Amino acid sequence: MSSVIWYLYEFARKSWAEKFAAAKTDPEIMETPSRFRDFPEVRKEYCIACGACTAACPAPMAIKLIRSSDSAEEEGATYPVINHRGCIRCGFCAEVCPTDPKTILCGENHLIREEFTILPVDKMFIIDDYLCIRCKKCLKTCSQVAGAISEVDNKFVIDQSKCIGCGDCIKNCPVKGAIKGIYINHVEEQKDIINLVVDTLESRIEEDQEKIKKLEPEEVYKIDLPMDDLVKKAREIIRNDEIIQDTIEKITDRLKMRILTWDDEKCNNCRLCVDDCPSGAITYDEEKGVQRNPDKCLRCSICYQTCPFGVAGFYVARFLFSGTLKDGVIHITLKPSQLPIRS
Amino acid sequence: MLDALKDVIRKSSIHVCLINTGGCNGCDIEVVALLSPRYDLEQYGIYVHNNPREADVILVTGAVTEQWREKLQRIYSKAPEPKIVVAIGNCPLSGDVFNQEGSSVYAPVSDFIPVDAEIPGCPPRPSEILAAILGVGPDAIAAKGRQKP
Repeated sequence: MSSVIWYLYEFARKSWAEKFAAAKTDPEIMETPSRFRDFPEVRKEYCIACGACTAACPAPMAIKLIRSSDSAEEEGATYPVINHRGCIRCGFCAEVCPTDPKTILCGENHLIREEFTILPVDKMFIIDDYLCIRCKKCLKTCSQVAGAISEVDNKFVIDQSKCIGCGDCIKNCPVKGAIKGIYINHVEEQKDIINLVVDTLESRIEEDQEKIKKLEPEEVYKIDLPMDDLVKKAREIIRNDEIIQDTIEKITDRLKMRILTWDDEKCNNCRLCVDDCPSGAITYDEEKGVQRNPDKCLRCSICYQTCPFGVAGFYVARFLFSGTLKDGVIHITLKPSQLPIRS
Repeated sequence: MLDALKDVIRKSSIHVCLINTGGCNGCDIEVVALLSPRYDLEQYGIYVHNNPREADVILVTGAVTEQWREKLQRIYSKAPEPKIVVAIGNCPLSGDVFNQEGSSVYAPVSDFIPVDAEIPGCPPRPSEILAAILGVGPDAIAAKGRQKP
């Protein structure tokens, strides 16, 4: 009963009666939204007559290349003409158009170019021939899935056009790092992370320089570097933990850092090293004596091998990343180089 | 006087018959969208009947297949005068993607029946169809009605 009264009350209102009498579609609905992909717009001055648009067009009657007649001054221009009665507004012609700026404009999709990749995966897989032990495990795995791995010249290669990026080859590979999954996107960010990690490791070793100088020839020096700061800075570069972890794992695996220490107190200013240094990082000054400029140093170890007084110390550092980004550490192992000293 | 009265009635109440002569159904779906509350075709006095004997406007979609060649003309002849034909989409205009080499489509529709309005697009937007019907329909029907003795 109450609902009947409510309806009577509703119908008796003047605004309802007005709306009922003049019911019209909202004009906003009738307007074409800006995102709507309309018929292609042709800017014929940019056309190079490559014919890519006609080849890409799925409708037989939609697009034709036309050449205007030659005049006395110049040759006739070639340009595409869109037949609206055949065009299905798919925008393929605009996507394949190779000119810059585009001859054909259609919608917005074809303007997005940086992000476009023909691979549906974010990782590219390659085999590192240096580490590969030729066990053929990846070959067997892949032949059941995609058949992208083949043997060429006694080397195993992945055919990128066949690879579906499943990652099964990595799982079955017995050698760490022999097959690599490389992130195709965010290359610049990955470079930044590598620089960040290397810089952090180097400055961490720099802090302990005094202890390192006192190392015995066979002694090994160990540092554990916690990940908190590093991960925080890396996340400022890119907010993708997978990429961060992957990059850190890969560089710590292969990174071998040469460390050069310099002990001024032992120096007798014999100046043997000044001439030997290939980059001119070591200089001699009447007042200051022999000086080393660390920014110029190549860490080639020539001064270490030349110096008769043991001023330069030469060490090799290796790294191992264990654990996860949250609670992982980078183990730094540093030991004196076994290079012979010439003098 | 009588003509003026007829004009008013013909303009304000248009009955529509939809014929799909072998397309992909995309345009038909757009016409159905027109009937929905969002676009609401009937607020303009247009009614879809799907009976050519009651129709003032024949909407043709599709690329005219082998089977439809005779039937299309038969349906057209059954609609009472004055009548207009609106071709919706690219199929009745050019055959669109179906008009490949060696295919048995017989587009365009204008080879079989006279077409008064064309709406290109694959499919056209509902608002485009509506604008075409409203822009051509009422006046063309009224004009055709006056031509008859």
